[in-house]
Amino acid sequence: MLNQMLKTTMRNRHPYLFIAPALLILILFSLIPITIAFVISFTDLNLKGLADWSSINFIGLENYTTLLKDTVFHKAVFNTLFYVVIGVPLVIISSLGIALLINYGKNLIFTVFRAVYFMPAITNIIAVAVVWGFLYNTEYGLFNYVLSLVDVDKVPWLEQPVLAKLSLIVLAVWKGIGINMIIFLAALQGIPNSYYEAARIDGAKRWQVLVYITIPLLRYSIFFVTVTTLIGWLQFFEEPFIMTQGGPLDGTVSMALFIYQRGFQFSEFGYAAAGSFVLFIVIIIVTLLQFKLKKSDVDY
Amino acid sequence: MPSEKSKHTFERWVVTILLIIGGLIVSLPFIWMISSSFKPESEILQMPPTLFAENPTLDNYISLFTNMNFGIYLKNTLIIVALSFVGLFFNAMAGYGFAKYNFKGKDKIFYLVLATMMIPGQVTMIPVYLLLNEMGLINTMLGIVLPGLAAAFSIFLFRMFMATIPTDLIEAARLDGAGEFYIFFRLIMPISKPIFAVQGILTFIAAWNSFLWPLIIANDESLYTLSVGLSLLKGQYANNFALQMAGAAFMVIPIIIVFSLFQKYIVEGFTTSGLK
Amino acid sequence: MKKKGLVYSTVLAVALSGILAGCGNGEKGSEDGDKTLSVWAMGGEGKLLSEMTAKFEEENPGLDVKVQAIPWDSAHDKLLTAVASGNGPDVLQLGTTWVSEFADAGALLDLTEHMEDHPEFDPKNYFEGAQSSMMYDDKVIGIPWYVETRTMYYRTDLLEEVGYSEPPATWDELKDAASKLSKSGDDVYGLDIDLNDQVTPLIFAWQNGFEFDAKNPNFSSPEFKGAMDYYTSYFKEGISSPAKGVDIVQAFKDGKKPIFFSGPWMINVLNDQAPDLEGKWAVATMPEKENNLSSIGGANFSVFHNSEMVDESLDFISYMNEVDTQLEWMETSNTLPSRVEAWQDPKLADNEMYATFGEQLESSQGAPQIKEWEKIVQELLASIERVISGGADVETELKGLDEKAKGMIK
Repeated sequence: MLNQMLKTTMRNRHPYLFIAPALLILILFSLIPITIAFVISFTDLNLKGLADWSSINFIGLENYTTLLKDTVFHKAVFNTLFYVVIGVPLVIISSLGIALLINYGKNLIFTVFRAVYFMPAITNIIAVAVVWGFLYNTEYGLFNYVLSLVDVDKVPWLEQPVLAKLSLIVLAVWKGIGINMIIFLAALQGIPNSYYEAARIDGAKRWQVLVYITIPLLRYSIFFVTVTTLIGWLQFFEEPFIMTQGGPLDGTVSMALFIYQRGFQFSEFGYAAAGSFVLFIVIIIVTLLQFKLKKSDVDY
Repeated sequence: MPSEKSKHTFERWVVTILLIIGGLIVSLPFIWMISSSFKPESEILQMPPTLFAENPTLDNYISLFTNMNFGIYLKNTLIIVALSFVGLFFNAMAGYGFAKYNFKGKDKIFYLVLATMMIPGQVTMIPVYLLLNEMGLINTMLGIVLPGLAAAFSIFLFRMFMATIPTDLIEAARLDGAGEFYIFFRLIMPISKPIFAVQGILTFIAAWNSFLWPLIIANDESLYTLSVGLSLLKGQYANNFALQMAGAAFMVIPIIIVFSLFQKYIVEGFTTSGLK
Repeated sequence: MKKKGLVYSTVLAVALSGILAGCGNGEKGSEDGDKTLSVWAMGGEGKLLSEMTAKFEEENPGLDVKVQAIPWDSAHDKLLTAVASGNGPDVLQLGTTWVSEFADAGALLDLTEHMEDHPEFDPKNYFEGAQSSMMYDDKVIGIPWYVETRTMYYRTDLLEEVGYSEPPATWDELKDAASKLSKSGDDVYGLDIDLNDQVTPLIFAWQNGFEFDAKNPNFSSPEFKGAMDYYTSYFKEGISSPAKGVDIVQAFKDGKKPIFFSGPWMINVLNDQAPDLEGKWAVATMPEKENNLSSIGGANFSVFHNSEMVDESLDFISYMNEVDTQLEWMETSNTLPSRVEAWQDPKLADNEMYATFGEQLESSQGAPQIKEWEKIVQELLASIERVISGGADVETELKGLDEKAKGMIK
């Protein structure tokens, strides 16, 4: 029996051999640590506990119940959903749109565009904070200057909770375009020219080609970008961290920022781990949902 | 035909102009970053900001290079980059395994892989450090690189693209008697050039900027990277922005070079490999 | 096709040689049999410190000092992993705000029994405000290395215009001067208060006679409430701006924010970034109410709990805290010496700006040394934000803060 199994495995060993190196590393440096963190989420581990493991206490679900009672956490959950619902479709549509436009031509200027639209992804974060801080500045900012030319009053971009969230979304979309764009560009190359030629011979209009040929053939990469962008945006962190630190009045605090500020800044690892697992579970549910929806369509 | 052609030219102009306007807006902070590296400190936080330095200076670059153990940091960074490409290769193999084989537990294993990108990195930082400590990898290059060698994002991306490779092609190669690894190296890798180019760029950027693990694993400055060296220039209270922009501008040059080298493969497509 | 294979095998070869080179790099040890004292210091100070160790090494043959510079931004993470694994240095630089946290975790060696052997460690050598950061739970866990305190930076010319040829010396004068300055032009804010700064509210409270009681948090006491009323009144009356606005250096230069509180590092920042302003600004000690206390901060030296070179570590700290070394360090790093005696040196005593800081240091104290303090301050800042931007009531907020602080301290 065992022999039989071993034989089958040997015969089908190739897929395992292909995934083994990466999988081993992930198990060792991700899955095991995640499991450890899961255990930590039921303890009161803090800096003292880290130095002396015997002082760690299991406190059951206390971290989780505290979290559910924390009004700032409620705000963080709401804000995160706000970011995701508005930001994710925006990123996907704009990066796909730009990829399609850039794919239009192949000469030098389009080559330059590819690099230009990738730049936000490689711009130093301090430069991002300084320049966007200027753009959004209520008194001296460029946006308000432009608006003042058409007689619009000063807009408090980062000083009013809802507006601040929207401002951060714009910034994050700007930053997120580059990587998704090159993924779409690579995917666009995978569409054989013969499809377009056939469509042209059939007299299809441009938008028809886009809707009936290009987009369906990009479904793999659109799916990929949607899944990874959602995961990324549910962990929305850097933009509020550098621009607003969660203010005004916790109006921009996201779940990931909350976990960082309440957990890691004060070395309350148990609490931080509990927060992370709430976030983890939300992300798993959202991701599995997408896979289930996708399944009915094609094998991803 | 002529009307068709002029319509085409018109469309091309519209697209180009749209892209130029968008491109200017998008790259403004980047341009500011570069130009600020040539500004004296007194000009850098001026409101409204100057796009080009009024009194250009090279001082920032000079103090950048005199303040850093440049040679050592560069060497370490390059080693990390090289090792990361091994990781890229592992990810490609895993992506192919998931894309083109059916095996027991495939879905479950893949979900596990994806799960690794769903949790904030800080949660796992200390457990990973303790693991590396047990393995005796503290203060070694291997310890710095190992935790980041495999990445779910990358495996997932490879899987997505390799799934679009026609299975007939692989079957045909198998009928010709090609081994599985031969197929991967000689057939799959060449036709996956666009995605290798994308991943190559992303891997290079991540490795080139690697910061946290080199800092945490190193008990010796001889293992520091360029990013760590640059962040040493930041003060606790007062920040020298101009110097930091010079550092950032310097760090971005190799990324642009790598991007320009690789990007032509992104758009090269399947056509050159004889696949239509 | 052949070329491809070559490329990949080259990549592999380079990578492998990288692994080997990397492994070779580790555990270098000391080639010449010398003992190595490992020191962690932060940011630029770490870089500069490694240039100062030569003389100490000369005096202590057979001892190498290896300074590892650690970026400020990630120093906390680095220290966490050191605490978790026990892989720490021998000597480490620790910002005063982190002392209680790491002392509580037992990461810092108790130096009590060594105090007599090292005269440099005597608390009397240091400013009174700095002495509190040396102790945790009745143990000596750190020796002040350099200090900083907050003073008032002001535009002499602009204050002169509103009738102040001397800097405002009391709360009332400050308020009066600041509101006159605010009225002197559009978008002028007489006093700049950074709402994210953790020590300003506390400084006002101290000046109003507040003393924090860790056993029974007393933020709703009249002293604290009075200070908060004063603090928030600047925003309510439009004398201070809650918005981020421009960078303070430029606002100071433009005369839009002619008074602000900051530490000694600002002297250099102003000299570098606003050279044209020379002669038009000065620093003064804090305006007083009951007193003119300011906060004291800076960095201490501590010995890591499991160091095997305790004696050498102590010798190193003693050396760094000799008056002469401290003065040399001041010139290298532009930080202020923690030793009171050093301040008699003409380099400090005859420099008007530094002398002001020296005077303020005499009247300064540190934040409460409890590990929950950082957390409590965050809550305090959130309360203040609710009062200023959300229109909440000061008294209710402070009562709520008492409850929260009680819950945190337990």
